[in-house]
Amino acid sequence: MTMPAEQQPSPAASTGIKSDIVSGLVLVAVAGYILWLNRKFPVGTLADPGPGYVPMLLAICLGVIGLLVAIMGGRSARLAEIRWPEAVRAVIILAACTVAGLALEYIGYRLTIFAFLVFFIGPIERKGPVPVVLVSGGFSLVSYYIIGDLLSVPLPVGPWGF
Amino acid sequence: MIETFNDLMLGFSVAFQPQILMYAFGGCVIGTLVGMMPGLGPLAGISLLLPATFGLNPIVAIVLLAGVYYGAMYGGSTTSILMRIPGEAASVMTCVDGYEMTKNGRAGPALAIAAIGSFFAGTVGVIGLMLLAPTLASFALRFGPPEYTALLLMGLFVLAYMSGGSMLKTLAMAVFGLLLGMIGIDIMSGYTRFSFGIVELGDGVGIVSVAVGLFGISEILLTAGNQDTPKVQKPTLRELIPSKEEFRLSAGPIMRGSLLGFMIGIIPGSAHIISSFVSYGIERRMSSHPERFGHGAIEGVAGPESANNAAATGAFVPMLALGIPTSPVTAVMIAAIMIHGISPGPMLIQEQPELFWGFVASMYVGNLVLLILNLPMVGLFVNLLRIPYAYMYPCILAFCILGVYSVSNSMIDVWIMLVMGGVGYVLRKFNYDLAPVALGLVLGPMLELSLRQSLALSGGEYGIFLERPIALTMFGLGGLLLLLALKPLIFKSKDWRSKVGLEDVAD
Repeated sequence: MTMPAEQQPSPAASTGIKSDIVSGLVLVAVAGYILWLNRKFPVGTLADPGPGYVPMLLAICLGVIGLLVAIMGGRSARLAEIRWPEAVRAVIILAACTVAGLALEYIGYRLTIFAFLVFFIGPIERKGPVPVVLVSGGFSLVSYYIIGDLLSVPLPVGPWGF
Repeated sequence: MIETFNDLMLGFSVAFQPQILMYAFGGCVIGTLVGMMPGLGPLAGISLLLPATFGLNPIVAIVLLAGVYYGAMYGGSTTSILMRIPGEAASVMTCVDGYEMTKNGRAGPALAIAAIGSFFAGTVGVIGLMLLAPTLASFALRFGPPEYTALLLMGLFVLAYMSGGSMLKTLAMAVFGLLLGMIGIDIMSGYTRFSFGIVELGDGVGIVSVAVGLFGISEILLTAGNQDTPKVQKPTLRELIPSKEEFRLSAGPIMRGSLLGFMIGIIPGSAHIISSFVSYGIERRMSSHPERFGHGAIEGVAGPESANNAAATGAFVPMLALGIPTSPVTAVMIAAIMIHGISPGPMLIQEQPELFWGFVASMYVGNLVLLILNLPMVGLFVNLLRIPYAYMYPCILAFCILGVYSVSNSMIDVWIMLVMGGVGYVLRKFNYDLAPVALGLVLGPMLELSLRQSLALSGGEYGIFLERPIALTMFGLGGLLLLLALKPLIFKSKDWRSKVGLEDVAD
């Protein structure tokens, strides 16, 4: 009898890698990257700090704190215990938002938001065509009217004037 | 005292203008709805509404946003009590006994006590703000760059000490936020730092895109896919009236929660969240029947609800008197005021008395509006909770894109929001508190500027921080807090978080 894939112990679980050790080391890596980026800016002296001085101090602080998080992370949850059941949907959401962001200035607010909502409520959430069209169309038009027309916030308009 | 009364009258003459009343009312309604929606807490609500305030005068703008803030604090309690879903983090403790009361058929009194407690606490908070902010602002006129450096550093230590989760993780997030604040043109040297050649980043990273990403988008990433449309109870007006015994039991917790919440609210960090946990812990400890807590004790609703509302008002004291935000919400509100060319700080009360006193008076009005509006209309508001999440979250996402884009009509802000949403999602999985990131982002440039100005003043001598009594005192307090925070790490003893059951608040 085989266990479902998600119940099988992962290599991380068996070796017991702790979540805080991983997150602490990631912070150390981020700090290292910032220090590397900061090399372009004059650090100055203790008495006369340059533009690179405070970022350097902060990056060192982040690295030290990250190291402490990792060192003291022995009692934290194992990495394998952190569940990511919504990760696929999260990636889809971020990807759809990125596409919407790219489209916004080209096809305008109303069409972009209409297509964005159709994508989520239709294929992703599997609702019927009537609610999909009503919610997507209604939201894009009403929100444009309230935010754009009534509150005079300039919103992007597509090449067709819509 | 007479001067304060006259100033308050000036404030009421502003607050009673029909336009201000209308926006205060609108802010409260929007805030209540926002607070009830999971994924849209007060911060995301205020951030999204920010672009709509650009065309308004500054008094109207701040009154509207403040209405959203305390409206959201109230709205969060409704979902906590009726559905065991905290609309925003400060309402987590209200869930415990509030939902138990709903299961026992006492949802109405729980809602009523939450509303009365919020009203009382809001009023106490406004009185405190009115009395404390002008005094603090007069005192802060003595502050120069060294004092501001000391104050900001002390604020960061207080933030770490008072944080709900791990102190080290809180400090890491604060430093991460401070580093984000380093992006853009360095005012003193003209260097553009960490902009990766993106022109828009020359002005730095905007608080709105970071806040909406960290708090709004990450919440949706965590909760999307939730198919349940929960059943909601709709209490009638008659069912809202608490019994005499419930009034008697709630009076003490409301008063204690109000005072405690206001004091904690002045401190940097997630004060409104912490205050509700501390209040719950105190009420349970003071009760002669602590075993009732967790099974529908009305004190467990009255105390935390009063505390988180008073803390929301307390956070305005350092914002208006010193120009220093102590929470992400006040950071966004400072941005809202600055867009209109007004700098919050010690001179604000003297230079803009209509704005300060109009704001204070509008909060009295707003609290009353919330009490009058929310209890009779609670049945109407809960209908919002019947909208399936499958429809709700795409619309919230669309609002996030719209709101962030509108701040400066820049796609860069949208990209920052999405990156921050992804980062926030991962950080929350690893139990990192996100509020310090937003605070650090705002405090970073202020801290760097004041430090370098101090050194320029002293000709590079660090002794300037020790020669000035106010700065020295603040450094002393900050150091003391750091030692207190380190004590449990070194001696393996319990710290204050364990004593009030706050270990998991960062989750």
